[in-house]
Amino acid sequence: MGEYDLHSFILACDFRVDDVDRMWKWLNKHRETLAVIGAHHVVLYTSIWEPGRVLVTIGIRQAGSVREVLRSPAIFELFDISGADDIPPIFGGEVVEKIDLDGPTPEGHVGRVVVGVMASVDDVPSLMDKVHDGLERFKGGGVRKIWVYQALDDGREVLILQEIDDEVSARQWIDHPDAAAEWMSGAGFGAYPTQFVGRFAHLMSIGEAV
Amino acid sequence: MFVCLCTGTTSHVVSEVVANGAKTSKQIAEACGAGGDCGRCRRTLRAMIEAHYAGRAVESVGR
Repeated sequence: MGEYDLHSFILACDFRVDDVDRMWKWLNKHRETLAVIGAHHVVLYTSIWEPGRVLVTIGIRQAGSVREVLRSPAIFELFDISGADDIPPIFGGEVVEKIDLDGPTPEGHVGRVVVGVMASVDDVPSLMDKVHDGLERFKGGGVRKIWVYQALDDGREVLILQEIDDEVSARQWIDHPDAAAEWMSGAGFGAYPTQFVGRFAHLMSIGEAV
Repeated sequence: MFVCLCTGTTSHVVSEVVANGAKTSKQIAEACGAGGDCGRCRRTLRAMIEAHYAGRAVESVGR
């Protein structure tokens, strides 16, 4: 198996935290540690319905190995500070496409809900065709953004971040997703976490001056 | 998904090990190394074992 040498990739992890604010303060204090592993952005989403559950994405600028990054003390410390004895599975992937159904820089994104799903799909190119065919229906269902990432270690594995108008639309989308959104039925099985439903909480940029 | 950070083992590899008969996290560690170092991924390994056998049970009920 290759070591996935890349210029940029994303790590994403869905887990539970004793104290979200404490973890975020720790991350801010350890910017340099994160910079060493090539992190350029950290985004934290907090669950709406499950207190303490978070989804963290870390953008990594690195021409090295995903495995080296995952083995670094910074990643283990992230889970230590979260209070988690168990380390959850981590998605490592790269962007397939970021679809913005609202046009660039929408003003009304505050309060929107993010639904994150990690799942296995039949075939990513076919999935993207179906998504593009269904964009008007997605928009009608309140979906405003769809960010699709494909795993580096498994070509059928995806992380999909969907930004949805509000909580009511998000609940309807979760209960009755469009047929093209095949990822919605793949969450919560085996290593995959259940659907994450939350809101954007924090963004940190790292090492821009480095 | 990378399930074992110590060894860099992926869920794909663990799934194959479970499909080949591993029924405990110890057996998975023996087969591919996952969970054999710090052990903090064993909950995920156990979830994968349960999901595999739950899936097989559903298949056999459906027959």
